[in-house]
Amino acid sequence: MDEEGNITRRRALIAGGAVLTFGGVVAYTGSQSGATAQHYVPDNTHAGTGTTGFDVDLDGRPIAGERDAPIDIYYWTDYLCPFCKQFETETLPELGREHLDTGDARLAVLPYPNIGEYSTPAAVWGRCVWSQVADSDPDAFWNWHAAAFAEQPESGTDWADDETFAAVTEQTAGVDLSAVETCREERGASIRERIEPNVAVARESRIQGTPGFVLYNRDSGAAGKLVGAHPYENFAEAIEKVMEA
Amino acid sequence: MTGNHTATSRDWTRDLRDALGYPLTSDARLLSAAVVTLATYVVLVLSSFPQFSVQVLTTDPTDVGYAVTALTREVYLTTGYLGLALVATYAVLTGVAVTNALALVQRARRRSASTIVGVLPGLLAAGCASCGAGVLGALGFVGAMAVLPFDGNLLRLGGIALLLFFLGRAGDPRTCSLDGGGRA
Repeated sequence: MDEEGNITRRRALIAGGAVLTFGGVVAYTGSQSGATAQHYVPDNTHAGTGTTGFDVDLDGRPIAGERDAPIDIYYWTDYLCPFCKQFETETLPELGREHLDTGDARLAVLPYPNIGEYSTPAAVWGRCVWSQVADSDPDAFWNWHAAAFAEQPESGTDWADDETFAAVTEQTAGVDLSAVETCREERGASIRERIEPNVAVARESRIQGTPGFVLYNRDSGAAGKLVGAHPYENFAEAIEKVMEA
Repeated sequence: MTGNHTATSRDWTRDLRDALGYPLTSDARLLSAAVVTLATYVVLVLSSFPQFSVQVLTTDPTDVGYAVTALTREVYLTTGYLGLALVATYAVLTGVAVTNALALVQRARRRSASTIVGVLPGLLAAGCASCGAGVLGALGFVGAMAVLPFDGNLLRLGGIALLLFFLGRAGDPRTCSLDGGGRA
C-alpha cells in the first residue's frame, strides 16, 4: 500500500514532535524573563515647567536628562503594564546612558492609566513620591519607580493594591511613607484631574496603549511616535530622525 | 432521544478525530498544516499589539522575531500559561482547518455541485479560524484584555470550541457527510 493517503507512523511522530516543539518553544519564550536586575538612575533629573510646544503639561513632572536637551521624549506609562516593565528593564538603561545622560534628549514620565483598576491609584503614588523627593533626593524617585515595576508578578494585575505600594514606598530609601500618604489624601483628586489632559494628548497622537512615546524636537517642532517596548536601536534611529527634522 | 444524542456525539468525536488526522495523510498536507499553524501564531501574537507590530516591522522587517518574542511574553504576562496555550492551540487547529478546507475545495472542484453540504462545515471551520484570528487578535489588544472575563481567555476558549465543532462537523475532507455522519 502506498504511503500516500495513510496516516503513517513516521508522519504521526513528526507531527507529534512538531506540536510538542511548537508548544515548548511558545511556553519557553513566554516565560523567559528578559528583565535584568539593573535599573536606570539618570545622571540628572529635574522637575518640568510649563506646557511644551506639543501641548504636554510638564509642570512639576519628573524629567530625566538636561533641562535644555533639544529633544523631548514624552513617555506615557502605567505601573501595571508588563510591556512598560520590559521597556524599563531592557531599553531605558541604554537609552538613558546614550541619549539622556549625554544631553541629546530628556524623558518625561507621564501616567497613562489603562491596564487595571489600580492603574490610576498607582499613578498617584508615583506622583506623590516624586513630589516628596523632587528637591531633596530625585534619585529616590527612580529607585521607587524601578521597585514599583519590579513588583509585577508573573501574570495578572491582582498584585497592585495599597499594601504593595505602601511596602514599596516604605522600603525605598529617601522616601517618607507618611508624607506620601498625606499627599495621596490631600492632593489625590487634583493629581487625578491633571493626568487626563496629558493622556488626551497621547490619544490625539493615536497612542492606544502603553508604553507610548512621542519624540519632539523642541526647536523645529518635528515629532515622531513610538508605541510599545521597541528595541534600543529603534529609539536611537527615531531620535536621530527627529533631531534632523 | 438520549440514545440519538449519544450516537450523534460519538459520530462527532469520530469525525473530529478524522479531521484532526487528515493532515497526517501526506507530507505535503503535514507541511501545509505546519506552515499555516506558524503563520497563524505569528499573526495572532502580532495582532495583540498591532501598533507596536506595524512600527517594528516597518522599521526593520527582520525584527519580526523580536516582535513575536516580545509579544509572546506579553501574552504570557497578561493572561498566563492558559492564555498562551489557548493561542497555540488555536494556531494548530487553524493549521488543520485550513489544510482540510483546501482539500475540500479541490474535491469540490473535481466533483460537480451537490457537494456544497459536505463542503460547508469545512469551509466554516476555516472561515471561523481565520476570522477568529482577527477577532481574537483585536480583542487581545493590550489593555483591553483586562476588561474581558478571565483576561480574554474565555473568548479564546469560545473560539477554539467553535473551531472544534466545525472540524467535527466536517470530518475527514475526503469523505462526504450525509444524514449526520453516514459515509458516501
